[in-house]
Amino acid sequence: MAAPSLWSSLQCLRKSTSALLSARDPVMQCLAPRLSRPMATEVELPQSQIYNPFTPMISRRPPPPVPEVLATVYSFPNMEPLRFTHYPANQLHLPLRRDILHRAVIYEASVHRGMRTANTKWRSEVHGSNRKIRPQKGTGKARLGDRKSPMLRGGGVAFGPHPRDMSTKLPRKIYDLAWRTALSYRYRRGELIVVQKVEDLETDNSWLIESIMEQHGWGRKDGKSLLVTRRVMPKLFAALNGSKDGQPGALQHGIVKEEADIDVKDLLEMGRVVIEKRSLDSILRDHSSDLNMTVPSAVHT
Amino acid sequence: MPPRLCSLLRVSHTIARPAAEISPFLLPFLYTQQRSSSILGSLTNVPGAVRRRKRVGRGPSSGKGKTSGRGHKGQKQHGKVPLGFNGGQTKDEVVAGKRGDHNFASFAVDMIPLNLYKLQDWVDQGRLDPSKPITIKELCESRCVSNVKDGVKLLAKGSEQIKDPLNIIISRASAKAIATIEAAGGSVTTRYYTPFAIKRILQGRMDPIVSLQSKASEIQQASKKTFYSRLPDPTSRKDIEYYRDPAHRGYMSHLVPEGHGPSLFFKTPGTGKRAARKTSKSRVSAADNRMW
Repeated sequence: MAAPSLWSSLQCLRKSTSALLSARDPVMQCLAPRLSRPMATEVELPQSQIYNPFTPMISRRPPPPVPEVLATVYSFPNMEPLRFTHYPANQLHLPLRRDILHRAVIYEASVHRGMRTANTKWRSEVHGSNRKIRPQKGTGKARLGDRKSPMLRGGGVAFGPHPRDMSTKLPRKIYDLAWRTALSYRYRRGELIVVQKVEDLETDNSWLIESIMEQHGWGRKDGKSLLVTRRVMPKLFAALNGSKDGQPGALQHGIVKEEADIDVKDLLEMGRVVIEKRSLDSILRDHSSDLNMTVPSAVHT
Repeated sequence: MPPRLCSLLRVSHTIARPAAEISPFLLPFLYTQQRSSSILGSLTNVPGAVRRRKRVGRGPSSGKGKTSGRGHKGQKQHGKVPLGFNGGQTKDEVVAGKRGDHNFASFAVDMIPLNLYKLQDWVDQGRLDPSKPITIKELCESRCVSNVKDGVKLLAKGSEQIKDPLNIIISRASAKAIATIEAAGGSVTTRYYTPFAIKRILQGRMDPIVSLQSKASEIQQASKKTFYSRLPDPTSRKDIEYYRDPAHRGYMSHLVPEGHGPSLFFKTPGTGKRAARKTSKSRVSAADNRMW
């Protein structure tokens, strides 16, 4: 009795391995993203090893080394793995802080709202005389002052809107931490895909980019993707985002943005982020103000 | 909205695979809900991060509902009462105002204390260069002192820790601090700074060491760099006397003649005209008129 049951379980195992190998298997599609699995061995970040510039011992002892994480660099659009690259854990392997991300997203939205321009005139700003319209007494009518009273037609507006600035502020160090937390969140879920260089397409027709997106599992079915390029690539942008001359684009599969145009909310919105390596490096460099702090010193070498 | 299991089930049915063919350990994954949802919906601030605004007059449950925190009846409920108002009687601060020395604090100079242990600590950390003159600019740049208003005074706490010969140029220094620095082979010079000068020095627009009344040798040694404005010298008698005093290692002490005191008012005994006449004539005449 033992032999057949062993045989069946072996068969089961073989089938399961063959299922694992077939990438288009729907079950496997549910299980994990194929292309973007992180190659890194995830290392727990001990709290004591985080570089704190405000400990007084810092200039006497060099700061402890920050552990590094691995990322795979792919070619675009073939997505052949080219090489591995290292990133410090305090850039791409930060713990998820929903409160920091929340503050950054709210801050960006408020800055985007910016100045509201609605403006009305109060009675002192309305053009007109200060002459009393009619005598105070004896007319049998209501007492009235000048013609600009907010009660009268043509008068000023009481409690009307005036231009106001809707933007809020966020400390630079917190905002930078939010950028790196957002990238770390993507990285840890395997949704940060680093590509070496994005070349412009040959055509601005969207069939090509559509097939690329669907082929790699980046499209609508898989929660869309954000492509980040260093510079604007006219044909790629027209093909994916559409253009003003009526080209529809393939926005259902994702969006492509220039590096200078993205913010923290963009990084969190879609299913994954496909980013050029130099853009990622530049973002991490620009948003490390809380890491690059130096001890104030009068000794200049 | 009903749970979205149907579509997944449909997918698995279209493949027409018997249930046994799917490995048993994968079964729980088949029936879980799979959606790509953004994290944006679940971002929240930490509870207590934002303080709710006090809203008055919004019902009894708000805690500031009925009288809006203004109590009952009278001018205080309905409007404003002027500050110090005593019901029409002469105000308290007019009847019994402050008198005496309360105003002297605004004339006092506000010296930031700097103790020797901190100075040596900063040198040990490599934040101050002991081979160069340490001025108020270096001290502020390395955050050894901060919020400097009228100047920095060097004090002697931790004097046993001083081991490097330091060349310090500072507003004031205590006698023990001077002795300690000089015993270690260094030098202290006190010199006059104003709040404006400190501001300009920190901007790099004023020389931190040399002014018109500095020693001629120091002026020659000074760097060739030109500055936007010149470092001021003291004009009040009190300041001039402080920086003329060699005991304070004042930068103007070279202006004091040999054997004279730093005071601008009291002459040193035995240096006046009358004293000079007395010493020259009277002694000689006294010698001539000797009877015995």
